[in-house]
Amino acid sequence: MEEYSLTFGAHLLLWTFPLVLVVLVILEALLDRLKPESER
Amino acid sequence: MTPLEGSTLTTVAVVMVAYLGVLLFIGWRAAKMTHGGEDFHLAGRSLGAWSAGISSTASSESGWVTLGAVGMTFTYGVSGLWYAPGCLLGYLVNVYLVAPRLRPLSANQGSVTLTDVITQRWGDPRNVLRLTSTTIILVCMMGYVAAQMTAAGKAFSSSLGFEGRGGYILGVVIGAAVITLVTSLGGFRAVAWTDLFQGLLVAIALIVLPLYAIARLGGFGALVQGLGAINPDFLSAGGGRLGPVLWGFVVGQLGIGLGYPGMPHVITRYMAARDDRQVQRLQMIAMFWGVAVFYGAGLVGLAGRVMLPGLADGEQALMALALQLVHPVLAGLLLAAVISAILSTVSSQLLVAASAVSYDLVEKTLGKASDDHRSLVLGRWTVVVVGLLGILVALSEVRLVFWFVLFAWSGLGAAFAPLILLALLQRGVNRHGALAAMLTGTGVTVAWKLGRDAATNPEIFARVWWITVLAAAAILILGRLTRAFETADHVAVVAAASLTVISWWLVQQWGLHNLYELVPAFFLAGFAALAVSAITPISVEEAGK
Repeated sequence: MEEYSLTFGAHLLLWTFPLVLVVLVILEALLDRLKPESER
Repeated sequence: MTPLEGSTLTTVAVVMVAYLGVLLFIGWRAAKMTHGGEDFHLAGRSLGAWSAGISSTASSESGWVTLGAVGMTFTYGVSGLWYAPGCLLGYLVNVYLVAPRLRPLSANQGSVTLTDVITQRWGDPRNVLRLTSTTIILVCMMGYVAAQMTAAGKAFSSSLGFEGRGGYILGVVIGAAVITLVTSLGGFRAVAWTDLFQGLLVAIALIVLPLYAIARLGGFGALVQGLGAINPDFLSAGGGRLGPVLWGFVVGQLGIGLGYPGMPHVITRYMAARDDRQVQRLQMIAMFWGVAVFYGAGLVGLAGRVMLPGLADGEQALMALALQLVHPVLAGLLLAAVISAILSTVSSQLLVAASAVSYDLVEKTLGKASDDHRSLVLGRWTVVVVGLLGILVALSEVRLVFWFVLFAWSGLGAAFAPLILLALLQRGVNRHGALAAMLTGTGVTVAWKLGRDAATNPEIFARVWWITVLAAAAILILGRLTRAFETADHVAVVAAASLTVISWWLVQQWGLHNLYELVPAFFLAGFAALAVSAITPISVEEAGK
């Protein structure tokens, strides 16, 4: 039986993009918390 | 949707009635806290991060996310997911660029609607911008509301076991009546709270169902093998498309995101946030919701394709999977999630349309400035009237209205998104440029959309150039008769008409009809704003800033 797999572009579209986006959003929120209250 | 029968129907109907009961309870609670005009139109600028964040995202995604988005991956495989990065990039712009600037701007201005923001940002001594903006919003929103009521009516009649034309009418009336009552009683606060409840329901459904379905299939590997066996192109990002067709498809899907900053029912949520801290907190909430919902919907479509080989309409995959895989109570909740996606958008659009009439037209343009209590009563009755009109249009199924719905997202996006971005980020625009942007965005959207569908509307498309000239002449004559137009406003109208005709010509000459109309309309509207502002400079004092 033929084995199928996602292409490189499909990997990027299906899970790499959302994963990177979520990590960036979390990093942005963490960096924001590290700022002093007056700079937020 | 598959007709429900027996105990499943009873269980689903009970869940639906409970769901409607929750909406009515929220509306009643919100009504007790709504005491004046700003309360009704903007919840007294009191929203926390969760209600502002989820309400903004749930309002922006109509039944499209539980029906259309699911259908995209069901039909095209992984390549059907290109809408997800497009929409999420739109979310990024909205929550990181628009929201943090719009909330303080609107609070300082005291602006209540998107039209208010535009008119106060650039000054509008003769109500030219207010009337133009209100007209565009009303035309787009009324069609949108009626179409969503139609979709809700169909979903309700199926879920509650109503049959035939009578069942459809009952479904429309029940769904529309409940949401109109809730919106009219509790105004913006009720809309935001019901959006929060419904948005969470949609997110939970679109996280749980695909995970469960993929587990039942035997894991992600089995899903990939199943999709490949149906069509190997389902496993690539291009889906077998090549060259200009591929680029037209990808750019068009990414281009959906350009519309988000221009959606009045979305960005007013940021204006209603309590303070800047709530805006910062809503950023992560909105982004997480977006990732969960867009990718959840995509995975439901992919799983549905493998698990439901006999399903003719991919847009029904979520409902069909729910009924096939889970207990009727859970299936009822999943169907409630499908309807939630629709009703959360209807309520938001209903309120925007009502605010356009009661606040922008009656109170501001006609100068019937009333006290806070009269403003509240006027707002409530306008929601009822707009809701009844929506029900009538949905029941009569007027074709012209549904024709307008095709332009609603791209029309609103092109008319307002570049303008809002320029209002918040750019100083070189004046009120004449703003007028040019709104007219250009609308005109190019209609011309390009007709060009994309030229095969179905060849006669109308062939006449676009002279319809544009006639429309521009009518606007100029109206402006002259009412003495509302300054000389520079004539330049704005002529520029918008010229860009519309040029875009119509480009579609024919360059064969650009594969490209989603929002992409050219967005950039041409932005160009029109900057170009007209450059040749019709007005002083800062004159602009009222």
